[in-house]
Amino acid sequence: MGKHKKGLAVCIIAVLLLLAASLLTGFHGRAESVQEAMRDAVLHNVNQITFIGGKLINPGLVSAFLVTAILLIAAACIRVFAIPRFRLIPGKFQMVLEEAVGLFDNMAKTNSPHRNGFLGAYIFGAGAYIFVGTLFELLGFEAITAHGEPVTLPAPLSDVNAAIALGVLSYLVILSGGIAGNGVGGIGKTLKEFSLPISMSFRLFGALLSGLLVTELVYYFVTLSFLLPVVVGVLFTLLHAIIQTYVLTMLTALYYGEVSEPSHKEKKGKQKAKASA
Amino acid sequence: MSNIPLNIDWQQILLHWMNLAILVGGLYFLLFKPVKQFMEKRQAHYQEMEEKAAGKLQEAEGVKAQYQQKLDGVEAELHEARAKVQQAVEKSTQEQLEQAKKQAAQIVAQARSEAEHSKEKVMKEAQRELKKLATEAAEKIAFKSDVDPFDQFLNLAEGGKENESR
Repeated sequence: MGKHKKGLAVCIIAVLLLLAASLLTGFHGRAESVQEAMRDAVLHNVNQITFIGGKLINPGLVSAFLVTAILLIAAACIRVFAIPRFRLIPGKFQMVLEEAVGLFDNMAKTNSPHRNGFLGAYIFGAGAYIFVGTLFELLGFEAITAHGEPVTLPAPLSDVNAAIALGVLSYLVILSGGIAGNGVGGIGKTLKEFSLPISMSFRLFGALLSGLLVTELVYYFVTLSFLLPVVVGVLFTLLHAIIQTYVLTMLTALYYGEVSEPSHKEKKGKQKAKASA
Repeated sequence: MSNIPLNIDWQQILLHWMNLAILVGGLYFLLFKPVKQFMEKRQAHYQEMEEKAAGKLQEAEGVKAQYQQKLDGVEAELHEARAKVQQAVEKSTQEQLEQAKKQAAQIVAQARSEAEHSKEKVMKEAQRELKKLATEAAEKIAFKSDVDPFDQFLNLAEGGKENESR
């Protein structure tokens, strides 16, 4: 009990000190108003970052590269250090990894009984990207814009280009499933769902953008974080990371399964051929 | 490009695609495939164990059935042997009984014939004795007295009567 009381007292003192420091330093404001920051969070036409060759890119793309780098380094470390030590009776970490892989693999198998090998790999990658990318905004990494202003790196998918890229890529994956399963007929089947890339892209964009706007607000007014408990923001971010991951991967698996399923005509034709043989 | 709403930039979309392709490929080779392979290997291992166990169980069931069959055969054999032995014992007892009866009948017959024989012998001896006695008596009467044997006989006969009247 004594230890708990001491810990609580330390926490309260730290919070009060930080509050006092933030109030004393005051809000000097950024170069842009909150309206401009919000508008830029949506449109990304002001705070752009210089990329290789002087090309100006959105901060979301930098976030995307960083997320990919983080994920690939983590995967390489796991591959080198953890996977060779896997045992038949798994430990906690092994169980988490197996659960993650099994979750996407089973999702692919249950939603698409035909040709699900590639689908499993794709939704595993896309799921990891959405989940980690959404949580990435919590880290609050900063980058320097082309104008020399600091900008907080947002979730990659809060950039409309990233959302469109993922949505359209998912649609192309579904299309590939249709072609693999049904040939030219599969293309027709997939094209029937022409609204899918738009809906998937903008669903992701809308969901992630809302998170970004809230985070942007919190970072814009530093003192606001004492009024709005940050933990609530963290929990919501975590929740919508899970929801968005589930929604996109589930939709992709579902439509992939639908278009890759051999059509009834082919089945009937095969049955007739078998019967005549 | 600036005419496209929402600041959509095709070049950045292509860069995102490249990024996604690297990520999906990298995660597949570094994480998804090895973990899945391990899971499949473990599944195969346990399946093999299960199959082995099932095979051994089946084998054990077969051996059990074989032994049960043998046991049943032994019981039937035992039953048969017991019945045979019982039959043999009964037969032997019957034979012994019959033999004993036969022997008894023989003994009885022999005893009877011996008894008959000894009776005959005794009778013959008695007859012979009587004859001898009669002959001796007759000789004594005839050759040792001076009296006429007929008279002597008569006297004797009378003497006999006197004795009777007394």
